Amino acid sequence: MKKIINISTLLLAVMFGLQHTAMASSHREAPLISNDPLADNTDLYAFKSPTDAEKIILIANYIPFEHPAGGPNWYSFGTNIRYEIHIDNKTTTTGDDIIYRFTFQQTNEDPTTFFNIRLGKENLKTTYTCERSMNGGSTFAVIKTGGIVPPTDIGPRSIQSGVGLNSPTYQALAQAAITTATTGERIFCGPIDDPFFVDLGGAFDVGGFRTAAQGSRDGLAKFNCHTIAIEVPVSTLQKDGKTVAMAANILDGDYTIGVWASASRPQITTLSTAGAAPTVSGNWIQVSRLGMPLTNEVVIPIGNKDNWNGTNPYTGDLGFASFFRNPELALYMDNSQFGGAVPGLAPLRIQTNSLGAFDFRNGKPGLFPLRGNPALIGTALAEPPLGFAHILLPDNASPRAVDILPAFYTGVPNLRPYQLATGKGGNPLAAGKPFINNFLPSLSDALRLNMAVPATPRNDPKFSSLGIVQAAVLGLTDPLYNANASLQFIPNMDGFPNGRRLEDDVTTIELQAVSGVVLAAIGLWYDDYPGTGSPVTPNLISVLSFNAGVTRNDTAFKTSFPFVQNPWRGFTGNSYSAPENPTLGLTLPEGSLLAYPNPFQTSVTFHYKMSAPGDVRIQFYNTSGQVVKEISQGTRPAGLHYVTVDEARLATGIYFARLFVNGKGYKAVQVLKTQ
Amino acid sequence: MRKTRLRRLAKQSLLPVFLFLSQAILASSHREAPLISNDPLADNTDLYAFRSPDDPNTVTIIANYIPFQLPEGGPNYYTFGTDIRYEIHIKNKTATPGDDITYRFTFTQVNQDPTTFFNIRLGQQNIKTNYVCEKSTNGGTSFTTIVANGTVPPANIGPRSITTPGLGLGAANYNALVQNAIATATTTEKIYCGPADDPFFVDLAGAFDVGNFRPEGNTTNPTKDGLARYNVHSIAIKIPISLLQKDGKDVSQAANILDGDFVIGVWASASRRQIKTLGANGIPTYSGNFVQVSRIGMPLTNEAVIPVGSKDRWNATTPYNSNDLQFAPFFTNPELALYMDSSQFGGAVPSLNDLRIQTRSLGTYDFRNGKPGLFVLKGSPALAGSALDDAVFGTILLPNATSPRAVDLLPIFYTGVPNLAPYQLATGKNNNVLAAGKPFINNFLPTLGDMLRLNMAVPVTPRTDPKFSSLGIIQAAVLGLTDPAYNGSTLMQFIPNMDGFPNGRRLEDDVTTIELQAVGGVALAAIGLWYDDFTGTGSPVTNKLVRTISFKSGPTTNDTTFRTSFPYVQNPWRGFDYTLKARF
Repeated sequence: MKKIINISTLLLAVMFGLQHTAMASSHREAPLISNDPLADNTDLYAFKSPTDAEKIILIANYIPFEHPAGGPNWYSFGTNIRYEIHIDNKTTTTGDDIIYRFTFQQTNEDPTTFFNIRLGKENLKTTYTCERSMNGGSTFAVIKTGGIVPPTDIGPRSIQSGVGLNSPTYQALAQAAITTATTGERIFCGPIDDPFFVDLGGAFDVGGFRTAAQGSRDGLAKFNCHTIAIEVPVSTLQKDGKTVAMAANILDGDYTIGVWASASRPQITTLSTAGAAPTVSGNWIQVSRLGMPLTNEVVIPIGNKDNWNGTNPYTGDLGFASFFRNPELALYMDNSQFGGAVPGLAPLRIQTNSLGAFDFRNGKPGLFPLRGNPALIGTALAEPPLGFAHILLPDNASPRAVDILPAFYTGVPNLRPYQLATGKGGNPLAAGKPFINNFLPSLSDALRLNMAVPATPRNDPKFSSLGIVQAAVLGLTDPLYNANASLQFIPNMDGFPNGRRLEDDVTTIELQAVSGVVLAAIGLWYDDYPGTGSPVTPNLISVLSFNAGVTRNDTAFKTSFPFVQNPWRGFTGNSYSAPENPTLGLTLPEGSLLAYPNPFQTSVTFHYKMSAPGDVRIQFYNTSGQVVKEISQGTRPAGLHYVTVDEARLATGIYFARLFVNGKGYKAVQVLKTQ
Repeated sequence: MRKTRLRRLAKQSLLPVFLFLSQAILASSHREAPLISNDPLADNTDLYAFRSPDDPNTVTIIANYIPFQLPEGGPNYYTFGTDIRYEIHIKNKTATPGDDITYRFTFTQVNQDPTTFFNIRLGQQNIKTNYVCEKSTNGGTSFTTIVANGTVPPANIGPRSITTPGLGLGAANYNALVQNAIATATTTEKIYCGPADDPFFVDLAGAFDVGNFRPEGNTTNPTKDGLARYNVHSIAIKIPISLLQKDGKDVSQAANILDGDFVIGVWASASRRQIKTLGANGIPTYSGNFVQVSRIGMPLTNEAVIPVGSKDRWNATTPYNSNDLQFAPFFTNPELALYMDSSQFGGAVPSLNDLRIQTRSLGTYDFRNGKPGLFVLKGSPALAGSALDDAVFGTILLPNATSPRAVDLLPIFYTGVPNLAPYQLATGKNNNVLAAGKPFINNFLPTLGDMLRLNMAVPVTPRTDPKFSSLGIIQAAVLGLTDPAYNGSTLMQFIPNMDGFPNGRRLEDDVTTIELQAVGGVALAAIGLWYDDFTGTGSPVTNKLVRTISFKSGPTTNDTTFRTSFPYVQNPWRGFDYTLKARF
């Protein structure tokens, strides 16, 4: 305690950022769901619209690793699945306050082809119904029927040409699919570029993280997914129907929402023995869910991943709290555990002796020795009912209950000690500069967003993919923000983990957080802080300089709704054309007759070529030179021609056929009539 | 009478021509039907059957599953599903109604360390998979376990997971894990079940953009292998021929290299239990009978022959009991043929301009969809003794006046091709298609169902032979017609690539190109039903024929090598650092 108060530093460069753990968002993250791609919820975003301060953008993505050329069937939302986005906006109710539910239907416009798109028809053409509940799921109202899911961007022939859909561009299809619900929300459901980015190959080779120079690569580059994007007025989401303009300030706690998404399937699926669609029955069972990114990817161990996906967060998440209080990832940032075996994470080392007293390694006490100390009165760490010590300081072997757990399960309140060091006078427990308030203590994993926080323009030079970590850096070091402890907007306060923007590098942010950057930010400095001088020690700089290898998406985002980029096109570049293949007679000389079959029995077909229009006759002679038959063709255009002649009445034997064009005779051809 | 009519035709000799028999086509069977595209674990992507090049008394059968496995697809990567029956079915006689031999694989999984999110850590492996292989030789009535606890190697995650001692598995190298996983069954077969490079190659982006093909070597837009750098899971079995031959004979007992008693039909499948019930936590239980959800015999059947409205049903159907006859119209008038026919959509698919089906072969025969084809010969005495004789197979091959491809595409998929007129090389036919010619294929097993048919008596073409070709039997036909080593007589002799697709299927065979050429009528041309531009005199190797044979659908080789010994498929790409290659 004393030690804490003793710290006499300035509030220089430091960061902050609240936290979590992780790496590849939620693509195929659990054994069961990895085999059910249609229901696999890969990512969830919630952010203040950069184009409209009164709108929130919610984006839930599904179906990982869609190959842009993945024909003939490509990918679309599943029928028999409920895709849902859940919103919690008050603590007085026990579950969801708002639910958006999407269900999809498919039809084959032309079942006679194996192509997905052909001649203006689209197979597996998908449409949707959106329902909304404002009472926790008791009742739903349909707010959109017949919503259109655009096809995959197969290629120029399928999308733009007459053999396909004849659309001017793919963008036109995507734009036309944006719809407005009866309740005012704008909605887009369809294929997009997967906005997530992570070095999968490095991360999951037992933590083989690499820098760009070491060959890191975005494992999701050039893959598509399917998105459900909704633009919702803040007044629809705010618990009392208020607009942003009515907020008390930019961290007004009444404007916090918790968001999570899910996919559910009917309990019983019965396969047809004849290849018809399976029949389904029973209650809907949740099979995938996602709130905070990467929770089920790298916080929940494999033995619990499937359970996580099937659990209702409101009633079941406390059962998983131990994985946040002592996260597995922390083992790899701890030299007394496996830290030495994971060189890719060497820049990240958790405090073992912060302020000479506090050890935050797994199984260590962390701040527990302070529990009950009068210095905690007035802070979030106070005993209930005034504070949350029972959650944040539960025992002497749950060190990360104070930082990792609340970031995932409750949000971070604008309370001591969760304020920027700016203005704290060196005492982490003192009041500092506010920078986050997304507190909604439902004790469940959700993406929490304070909707009162303004958007950082994407072209602002201070915009950063480090989200709130960068807001903390600015609040501590930028003269525009570090002069006093007053509440002011700092760029990137609208970034992860205050909601999540498409640009946010959540993998890096979460890894920095597991390594204790939050603790450092609130004054629990790294081990190499000597107690005097700048707390921005080499260890802290090392953590802040770390990134997980890939820091941005592989393509740009759109500047307007739905913000996610159009899907990668399967076929790019020019179409190859083989030379024209004449229908016939490439080598047939002018004026010559070709007879098929020859010998013939009853009929024979003549084939001839003309370079200019002309009057055509064919004469049949016998071996004596007598004309036995004359066939007049009349005037024929230039080109290749056929005429089939019935000669059943002729006697067997040898004949000659001769072509005349405009009276000019050509060389005769011999034909043989047989029996 | 009609015999003479056919017999005459061109008076040139039997020079260059090709032959070849056929099929229809494009991306094997990866996510090829709506339902199975959403059940990757049960999705049977490819099937191969060939005589083992380094062990010719055996045949190797490879069935692949689980398409588009990203090599770095962690944290869970990919492996065979539990609760699925993966089966390889073999038919070796027509007298029995169903399988004569069935290999059934079922898998189990265990987490050696459920406390980590990593797949491999500290010598422990999660989702570690083992298998049981059972075999039936009585049509599935009873099964005997022949491998009780087979090992499926882990994904090739990266050096830390695989080779680092202590931290990972500490294997000498990934190949050591694969080698150790090769089991010998109690009945002597060699078996490998595990991850492999996907051996298939096709320009998916080109093929399925309404036929936007990009042939290898074109200067407009380089072709892309849509399966490059993806892994699959293979079930590979190397089986002594004497175990597959219907009478237990070894290949040395074959009467000749086309001995009809050595033909097998092979198909593979995946089945799931009929009822899946999710627990309240989303964990399923399974009950009910097993229901077939995926199958493959000939490559690309369900990809590009069967239309979307029938694809799911195709997967649920067995090729027995004449079930497949319901799909026969898709072979006798294949959709792909519409794109090689200027009176249909041919003009709208310029990338297939090289392929134009005969509309007036020999001045008479029109093989475009809906046209009579050879049906005009129906009942002619000239057909006596040929395969087209009603007393032989005429009712199948010449069913009516609007099923032109019943004579070539249908038998390749449904019966195999007999060593009978007219299905012999033009060599020695003296321009009469119905005459006896030089034998080059006999994989006839007339069950009227889609299977990959292999005559096991045909010798192996060494992979290092300069005449080895990914065009399979098409190239054998070319050699048999043009190479002085083979075209001097009608004697039966081994021609390189007679062991290639569609006589079985080798890993190297470019089945997409072969099948597209076949739909383009190359088989018809090869048996003397020349292209429209054949003038009746001179060489039948006309411009159109040359263009057909020169056509390529896209990439012609896999994006890596194959192994020279069992299991022949290449080790899977390593997630951490595989070399990148554009897939679209």
